[in-house]
Amino acid sequence: MSSLLEIENARVCFKVRSGLFSGAGIIDAVSGVSLKIEEGKTYGIVGESGSGKSTLARAVAGLHHASEGSIRYRGQELRNLPEREFRKLRREIVMMFQDPIGSLSPRLSIRSLITEPFRIQGMSDWDLDAEAKRLLKMVGLPEEFASRYPYQISGGQARRVGVARALALDPKLLIADEPTAGLDVSIQGEMLNLLARLQDELGLAIIIITHNLNVVRHITDHVGIMYLGKLVEEGPTEKVFATPQHPYTLALLAANPEPDPDARLMRIELLGEPPSLLNRPSGCEFHTRCPFVQSRCESDVPSWHSDTDHGSHRCHFPENWVGKQIV
Amino acid sequence: MATSAKTIKPTKARSELGDILHHLVRDPLGLVGLIIVSIIILSAVFAPWIVPYDPIALNIPDRMQGPSLAHLAGTDQLGRDTFSRVIMGGRVALQVALPTIGGAIFFGLVLGMIAGYGPKWLDNIIVLLFDTVRSFPTVMFALAVVALVGPSLNTVIFVIMVTSIPTYGRVVRTLTQSLRNSEFIDAERSLGASVFRIMTVHILPNVLGPLAVLAAMDIPTVVGLEAGLSFLGMGVKPPTPSWGSLLNDGYNLIRNTPWLIIAGGIPLILTTLGFTFLGEALRDVVDPKLRGRGSK
Amino acid sequence: MAGVILDVRNLSVSYDTPRGPLKALRNISMQVPEKKIVGIVGESGCGKSTLILAIIQLMAPNANVTSGEVLFKDNDLLNHDLKQMQALLGVEISMVFQDPMQTHNPVLTVGRQMIDIQYRDKLSYSEKRQRAADMLALVGIPDAEARLNQYPFEFSGGMRQRIAIAMALMAKPSLLIADEPTTALDATLEVQIIKRLRELRDEIDCSILFISHHLGVIAELCDEVVVMYAGEVVEAGNVRDVFHAPSHPYTKALLECDPGHIKEKTRNLPTIPGEIPDLVELPEGCVFAERCSKIHDACSARPEFQVVTESHAAACHLNNGELVK
Repeated sequence: MSSLLEIENARVCFKVRSGLFSGAGIIDAVSGVSLKIEEGKTYGIVGESGSGKSTLARAVAGLHHASEGSIRYRGQELRNLPEREFRKLRREIVMMFQDPIGSLSPRLSIRSLITEPFRIQGMSDWDLDAEAKRLLKMVGLPEEFASRYPYQISGGQARRVGVARALALDPKLLIADEPTAGLDVSIQGEMLNLLARLQDELGLAIIIITHNLNVVRHITDHVGIMYLGKLVEEGPTEKVFATPQHPYTLALLAANPEPDPDARLMRIELLGEPPSLLNRPSGCEFHTRCPFVQSRCESDVPSWHSDTDHGSHRCHFPENWVGKQIV
Repeated sequence: MATSAKTIKPTKARSELGDILHHLVRDPLGLVGLIIVSIIILSAVFAPWIVPYDPIALNIPDRMQGPSLAHLAGTDQLGRDTFSRVIMGGRVALQVALPTIGGAIFFGLVLGMIAGYGPKWLDNIIVLLFDTVRSFPTVMFALAVVALVGPSLNTVIFVIMVTSIPTYGRVVRTLTQSLRNSEFIDAERSLGASVFRIMTVHILPNVLGPLAVLAAMDIPTVVGLEAGLSFLGMGVKPPTPSWGSLLNDGYNLIRNTPWLIIAGGIPLILTTLGFTFLGEALRDVVDPKLRGRGSK
Repeated sequence: MAGVILDVRNLSVSYDTPRGPLKALRNISMQVPEKKIVGIVGESGCGKSTLILAIIQLMAPNANVTSGEVLFKDNDLLNHDLKQMQALLGVEISMVFQDPMQTHNPVLTVGRQMIDIQYRDKLSYSEKRQRAADMLALVGIPDAEARLNQYPFEFSGGMRQRIAIAMALMAKPSLLIADEPTTALDATLEVQIIKRLRELRDEIDCSILFISHHLGVIAELCDEVVVMYAGEVVEAGNVRDVFHAPSHPYTKALLECDPGHIKEKTRNLPTIPGEIPDLVELPEGCVFAERCSKIHDACSARPEFQVVTESHAAACHLNNGELVK
């Protein structure tokens, strides 16, 4: 059975003009990523600034051009698909953006915003008022919001409008770019619960892009961790959390610890700063920051290891770190 | 699980226009500007009905009089009532300003949006076009056109419009470029919106605000240009009164009476002040509203 | 008061708005003891930014202090004029702000800025420069001496924040105020900077007032914590006591919602339903009542601060689950 979305060795590069400090060049924002997403399941892509996660998401949504590799939706190749053809798929592949209010056209009412997809797809003859009401209800916003404008609603409410707009035409794949960024901790759960509920009701597959590993723990089936444009660890969420293999995964887990003053486990500290994409490190690209670096890491590129007990990863010296004290 | 309808910002049922007027009225200079502009526009619109005398009716016996109760601004060398000519001149000024600025906005919008959103090569061509036109001195260009088609109101309109297009075009282009990278444009692209739709539905409305401010501040310039061209004899032909021709007459007759030149100059000054105040107040209203919106 | 470097007593601040006064802070009392790290934790609208601005006297023009004192080493800062504040700021009280991208003057080199802020010291240029280089090295910037000649845009966000910390600590202040210094940075960078901050504090021996909404960081870094909600302090005390045995329902709910806390996989994450109340038209009684799961009749009256343990107090009618008379 083929997956809903299959990404194989996708590469997205950008030209960089020479600045005062860096030379001109081509950077690989996404440098060979492969993963599969099944219908109705949730996949989390986790990484920090420069990891390429947003770029990958945008490439799937057709906003960036993938220069190599393949992105197949239900078997159809998306890379290099002309916009005319891609438009038909835009009913099924939708995206929710990071800046909740900035992603809403400021001069349009909420009603116009969430019914845009209908108009764009040539469905303006539908009862758009009724659709607007239905969509607002679906995301838990009151009907009277339809006549408001983006500047009159809060960030959390704008996020819901973004969800409503994305779901207007009953899509099959939703890409959520940092759906909880900027939200207070006490209401992050609302957004995630909403996405989980909608997935159950609509059979939607979701890709969640985030930098917070803890957020994906609960609502994803699979998780992939990206660093400098590559996946460093990938697998079923439970397994990755239970036994993380790659030091970067560990570092991400350690960076969002539980609020317990006595917890001293896994105080992993990464060294230095993330390298520039123009100057990729040799061997294992993570070696410049890895607290467990050994000489082999600088010269040999690790290959992708998979096994059934854990997930897949690319590290020369993975180990089962849970329970070990590292300071 | 519904979220409460309460938001941090109070929502008033005021329309956008009402909102703008509300803020304008609060700014003292804006209020002054609004009043002056209203007077100018109303007197221009109702000119034929409110002029005390026929502006082109000759009345030689009463020529060259100073201001009096009968003639509020005196009379000119042909006995025509200056005040009536001033009011009619205002009508002419707006008759020039409106199509000129309207046309400049239209072409400026189209070219500016294409330049800002389209491919780089097209942008380069359009910018080259703008820069070329801008490098013509207006008066030289006017002279050339007049030599071709003769002096008239339409000549003035055409000349000023063409030379104004680059100004509006550049502003639209810059605004479009900055909007192009906004997240909401990406969102619309991800929905499959065509380039045309993005430009007309999503970029255009956001450009109109600053453009309106620019236009308001530009009206006095255009009126001044018209006055200048008419003063030089390249614009409206007599006996049609225009502020420029009033200035011309006044200039020639300054030794006989200063009132003509004052009558030609004061409306220009008032127009400039009025529209400038209004334009600046509008800009303060439009900009911080845009910035203040969307922030918690 | 002995051993307390900053003592805020009954501070109330309102903002003038078209709808009426917005009561951003109401009767805030808290202390920062000497050489301790105190964390202020709270969500949007809790007033933590207003509190900081009130302390350093950088409030917006429409802000009014309606009551209270801010005692720094027993002097009321609210009574200080501009000159007196200027003498204190940068010397005794230093600050690190949230956005590292906007903290530095973009047209001056880092070295120039770090030397400029030493203007009160009677050292030679090369001595000041050396001190700047030493501070940069101390915050973990490699090649410090050479990097003094670079401009802020040549540094990453994490580095700029370190530079900000270096600048703040260069004068060895008694109190460092850090307003969400790591919020704009990646979490793995945050870990580095927090660790460095703790080491620096041990060396310089200052007190730190650390504002954050990130509970894990507060637990890691702070000795004491103050929990704020909608303009009031709802709980305060030793960080261990507060996090292990939270007494106020808001603190409890906040800890429960923290993603790091939830160990079991669940499709229904906990949240605190509702929103903060309108600060212009405040409800009577306890400000958290309408979102509280333990609401009682008593909650229609404002709760007083109840002592939970010797080093821990909360403003709730329920103390350890029992109604207080």
